[in-house]
Amino acid sequence: MRRFTTLLLFLCLAATTSFGGGYQVGLHSVRNTGMGLIGTSLSYDASSLFFNPGGAAFVNEKWSFSGGVSLIFARGTFQAKDVNYQATLKHELNTPFYFYAAFKPTKNLSVGIAVNAPYGNRLAWKDDAGENWQGRYLIKDISFKAITYQPTVSYKFKEIFGVGVGLVYATGTVDMNKSISAQGVTGDGSVNIKGNTSNFGFNAGIMVHPDKGWSLGLDYRSKIEMKVKGADANFTVAPSLSGNFPANNKVDVMLPLPANLDFGASYEFGKNKQWMVGLNLCYVFWSTYDSLVFDFETKTAAVSRTATPALYTDQMIVRVGAQYKISKAIIIRAGGYYDPSPVKNDYLNPQTPSLTEVGVTCGLSVNPFKGFSIDAAFLYLMGAKRDGTYSPENFAGTYRTGFSIPGIGLSYSF
Amino acid sequence: MKKILFILMSLAILSACERKIDEFKASANGLDLSNFVSVGNSLTAGYADGALYLSGQQNSIPNIMATQFKTVGGGEFRQPLIGTEEGVGFQPVPGGLYCYTKRVLYFTDDLDCAGVPVVPETKSFKPGFVSNPEQSTLIQQLYAPPTVAGPYNNMGVPGATVQTLFYPGYGSSLGNPYFARFATSPLATIMHDAVVQQPSFFYLWIGNNDVLASALAGTDALLTSLPVFTQFYTMAVDSLLASGKNPKGIVANIPDVTSIPFFTTISQKLPWNGVLLDSAQAAGLNQLYSLYGHSDIKWKKGQNPFVYTKTDGTWAQMHAGDLFLLTMPTDSVKCKGMGIADQSIQPIPRPYPIPGKFVLDGAEQANIKARLDEFNTVIYNVAASRNLAFADMNTYLRKFASGMVFDGIKMNTSFISGGLFSTDGVHLNPRGNCVTANFFIQAINTKYGSSIPQASVTNYTGLVFP
Repeated sequence: MRRFTTLLLFLCLAATTSFGGGYQVGLHSVRNTGMGLIGTSLSYDASSLFFNPGGAAFVNEKWSFSGGVSLIFARGTFQAKDVNYQATLKHELNTPFYFYAAFKPTKNLSVGIAVNAPYGNRLAWKDDAGENWQGRYLIKDISFKAITYQPTVSYKFKEIFGVGVGLVYATGTVDMNKSISAQGVTGDGSVNIKGNTSNFGFNAGIMVHPDKGWSLGLDYRSKIEMKVKGADANFTVAPSLSGNFPANNKVDVMLPLPANLDFGASYEFGKNKQWMVGLNLCYVFWSTYDSLVFDFETKTAAVSRTATPALYTDQMIVRVGAQYKISKAIIIRAGGYYDPSPVKNDYLNPQTPSLTEVGVTCGLSVNPFKGFSIDAAFLYLMGAKRDGTYSPENFAGTYRTGFSIPGIGLSYSF
Repeated sequence: MKKILFILMSLAILSACERKIDEFKASANGLDLSNFVSVGNSLTAGYADGALYLSGQQNSIPNIMATQFKTVGGGEFRQPLIGTEEGVGFQPVPGGLYCYTKRVLYFTDDLDCAGVPVVPETKSFKPGFVSNPEQSTLIQQLYAPPTVAGPYNNMGVPGATVQTLFYPGYGSSLGNPYFARFATSPLATIMHDAVVQQPSFFYLWIGNNDVLASALAGTDALLTSLPVFTQFYTMAVDSLLASGKNPKGIVANIPDVTSIPFFTTISQKLPWNGVLLDSAQAAGLNQLYSLYGHSDIKWKKGQNPFVYTKTDGTWAQMHAGDLFLLTMPTDSVKCKGMGIADQSIQPIPRPYPIPGKFVLDGAEQANIKARLDEFNTVIYNVAASRNLAFADMNTYLRKFASGMVFDGIKMNTSFISGGLFSTDGVHLNPRGNCVTANFFIQAINTKYGSSIPQASVTNYTGLVFP
């Protein structure tokens, strides 16, 4: 337990980043990360609480804990259209984490809590001259993260059918900076927006074990409206413009966390079920993200209610993975996935430079003693490239990003 | 566990190497930009904020273009730089010149007719001179030779017209001081000094003053005639083409002058029929105007048009669409009855028409517009027949009326808030020059198949607010 406490303390300082589609993060169990981020049909440990509450009751041990962290090494480059200009995404280490604890009061019932960070976006742009890059009037840096706390119950009927539901309590923080093009004698104006919020959603799923070796799962995580009420909006502008940009304004910011519908199928086979192969189809209801709305409390000619169009479209993420038990003590994993961008070409915004990504993963678990597992995984995104324009601001160019994401986790069941 | 962590970290650092994108592939496609010469007027000279000043010149349209040309073999671009940031602007007055510095924005109290801040206090942006040096100092700076030696690739001379490109003596002390300060000799013409440089590529944006100068004076009487324009414009292009190095080039047409803030700003605030009268006041004014022999001008109860002096000296009432110029002293309207009757003359006030130089009426606008269209046809035809690149600035600047955005910078043709024009309401600010230079570069790339990179608008300053 002390190890988990230490880990949790460390993780409290963590932040997240987006990669692949939009601002959703898929790193919720290092074991599952190793096999292409699949998990909806799996019930190996307490991470089922998140991936599919319907599967948690299938975990055999009375107590089960799982925790871990991924280290996102992100790189990105921007080449402006028609201009001899490049900027880079500042290298910042982002560390989405997870912690799950499940307890089975009876053989068929499981209760537990899942804490993780399914949504987030953190980036900062710079060029050779510093932070005043060409897209600074759209975004300089942004840190947005949502952490969810999900108390969950799961019940199984015989060894065939499981059902579970969790109440999701999400907390979110946002902190963003951008420049304002109205200039004073010292140059650009600027604005910082900073605030936090919370809201509720739910996570419900079913799991079916129809036949020997087979497992099917279906999970729905609801949309959560993150409305940051009264965030601080601090404008720094030339003195003569302070009437138009009040220094200590407040702003309501509205950002939806999209719903997910996941379907998973997996099959165990071979001697002692040495092999497992699985598939996940994850439908993300991105079209709910129509625009990022800022509604300022003190309204002036320059700041009022603005909606920054996003016009995301629904997407399906396809994930495949496999694992192989070399021995009782060692399991190896591999997988891959295709994560299409929900962003249209004329709405590609440096605030969330979402590119269609292909990821390959591998993983390893070492079990030094029964019930205890040290898990490691490595996720490599192939490095997508995309031309796009954010047409409302006429900001055009080519983006390229790449990610290397090692993860480390511990699981203990008894 | 430490070992695994170490392996993973090493792996991550190894593979998270920089994600490179190919840089912009610049190419001249055979275009020789080694000696780029620009011929034009204040718009190309880097004149802004009512004066010629150092950073204005550094942000001139052709200098921004030349900076981009350097990526594809462009050479040095010398400009006749003036030594001061305050700069010099001037107006001819009887017996000489009246000089002043560039204008900057001030944010000051609005005053009532007695010169006292209004209550409740309101403030607004007012362009004003950055400093007030002695006339002799400014005159000296105006005529001082440029801080860098010639020959000058930027042959933009504020005030130049198609004809004055060919005026011997335009560079003398009796000519245009802005040319006299860098002409190779007092009798050299602008075109001569351009042609002897044997440009490999030229840029000619001329003709604005052939309509604008008249419009700025509130009249259509000073327009260049079509035959003269045609003759001199054709001569200008052909002189450059015959300069020796068989140059390629780009020309641009003339934007609609009446859409610029200089002509639109006051009219948005002050209606042409802003005289509100009761029946007693109307009767009094009718009596007064009859007394002065202008019984044709009728005042009535309610809203009435202002009275102004037409170019031919006659008095008339204004009509919808007539434009007030930015130079119009609106205080005189508010405090002295300009456009109605001069209240300061007692016991009987005197009719007080708005001087014609502050009004561009509908007929004048129509004549200017017609002439502008004729000039633009000439420019288009000359460009087409000489197979030159052509930038349709008239169409392009019209797009700004409803607003344009570049990398998150919004620009339109509004005065001050629009972010496109400088404080004089006629010339562009550096950001405006940059988007214009990029438009020229696009036209060059289209014509010659080159890939010259555009300049980043975010690197240029807009209007500076106090």
